[in-house]
Amino acid sequence: MIHARFLSALVFLLSAVAAEANWYFPPPPPPEEFGNLLIDRTSTKNKVKPVTFSHWSHRRKYTCQVCHSELDFAFKVNVSQITEAENQAGKYCGACHDGKIAFGHDKANCGKCHNGDRGYGKEKFPELASLPHSRSGNRIDWVRALEEKAISPARFLKVKPSPGIAYEKTLMLEAEWDRVPPAIFPHKSHTAWLECANCHPEIFNIQKKTTKHFEMKMNLAGEFCGVCHMTVAFPMSDCKRCHPAMMGWQ
Amino acid sequence: MKKWFVIALLIPVFASFAHAQTGTKKRRPLPYEYGGVVIGNSSANAGFSPVQFDHWLHRAKYTCRLCHVDIGFAMKANATRIKAADNMKGYYCGTCHNGKMVHGDRKIFEACATKYTREDLKRCSRCHSKGENVKQDYDFAAFTERFPKERFGNGVDWEKAEERGLIKPADYIEGVSIKRPALAVQKDFTIGAKVETMPEIIFSHKKHTVWNGCELCHPEIFAGIKKGMTKYTMVEIFEGKYCGACHMSVAFPTTDCQRCHSKPVR
Repeated sequence: MIHARFLSALVFLLSAVAAEANWYFPPPPPPEEFGNLLIDRTSTKNKVKPVTFSHWSHRRKYTCQVCHSELDFAFKVNVSQITEAENQAGKYCGACHDGKIAFGHDKANCGKCHNGDRGYGKEKFPELASLPHSRSGNRIDWVRALEEKAISPARFLKVKPSPGIAYEKTLMLEAEWDRVPPAIFPHKSHTAWLECANCHPEIFNIQKKTTKHFEMKMNLAGEFCGVCHMTVAFPMSDCKRCHPAMMGWQ
Repeated sequence: MKKWFVIALLIPVFASFAHAQTGTKKRRPLPYEYGGVVIGNSSANAGFSPVQFDHWLHRAKYTCRLCHVDIGFAMKANATRIKAADNMKGYYCGTCHNGKMVHGDRKIFEACATKYTREDLKRCSRCHSKGENVKQDYDFAAFTERFPKERFGNGVDWEKAEERGLIKPADYIEGVSIKRPALAVQKDFTIGAKVETMPEIIFSHKKHTVWNGCELCHPEIFAGIKKGMTKYTMVEIFEGKYCGACHMSVAFPTTDCQRCHSKPVR
């Protein structure tokens, strides 16, 4: 009997934790650090400082798919097997950082990446001040910036993809909770940056209603929308950008 | 009784961890890994590592149908149930790997043996190499260096490589294949997409028959030889059925969506 009570208490506690996970948003970093990463798969082990990487400085010049499809960078930090040798051979960072397109992998430049400073390069952030504003993330509306041609990021580096699929359907995703208005998902603003296979079928299955466990809790745990929307794309704390009819929230 | 109720309550909590198959991104295989197959039905029983088979080397030299139709390899790893004894009788790998057949300027090494010396073991490990540190005769990067590039899969546009004469895959082995008269191939046709505004697929029999003939796909993979008879969806393709029999594992992967969905939407 005591055992059963203990278990019920545990269930109660777990459901409380689960409920908490539906609206816990980590404190936002300053705009110039949003989307910045420290990559440290082997750096510290090899006694060099972790690599700083800023999404905002890269995405103004390249669409997501250049790095995340063509160069095959994973969507999670420290997963891609980036090594100095691979970079020197023109893979990963080395595809551009070769001394021609961007600064190369030579001794003089080590500290430009291997500096362990997440805020590195922030003095360049004001260069983006003229881009359309938003109220979260980098405080830049990247989608509008692209639509209005304030930036023109490249879609490929070496191998030109066949013309992309212009799939522009906007989905209305009904929320499972009462009083939570549906989320609007525009394919168009995503395909401007990404290609279909960046999300399908691994992150989102393509058969209707079979994407299981697609709920806020999972998004906030870094799955589904949360693969990008929290780390790089506008954060989910900006509720109304997806749930436009949300009342009483920001 | 109450205990079971509590356990029943807990099940969905744990199930939510167990069912997280979607929502995350998997690692894409590297170009030299793509099309790699690990075959190990009975290797371990014989005290060997499983066989690591790489499509990229074989497909540069032989057409798909030579192995998958004439020799009879299944289209799924470990479904053929290859045995050393069969290889030695000249079936499966042993059709070519018999120490006698010549390709180009080299003899094709013999597969499998009942008796072998310590020296022979090196030959075993040319195939039984999964997890072993074996230096192979062919290096992927050097072998594919001059081939036209593509984005996914092996990073090689095999179709263009053949068009340009950089590879000349053989389609005939004496005693195994038959001389087939070339069939007139119908023109490229479109396959409608099920989702509105999704571009239609342009399917080219011509491109497929170069390496596959008819028999590789019909009637087993695509039963219907009349357009529209075989019904399938992307979900089944992603499960490795229909187009997915090749285009998930060996031929350019389905991640290259627009290569098939290529007809402009009107």
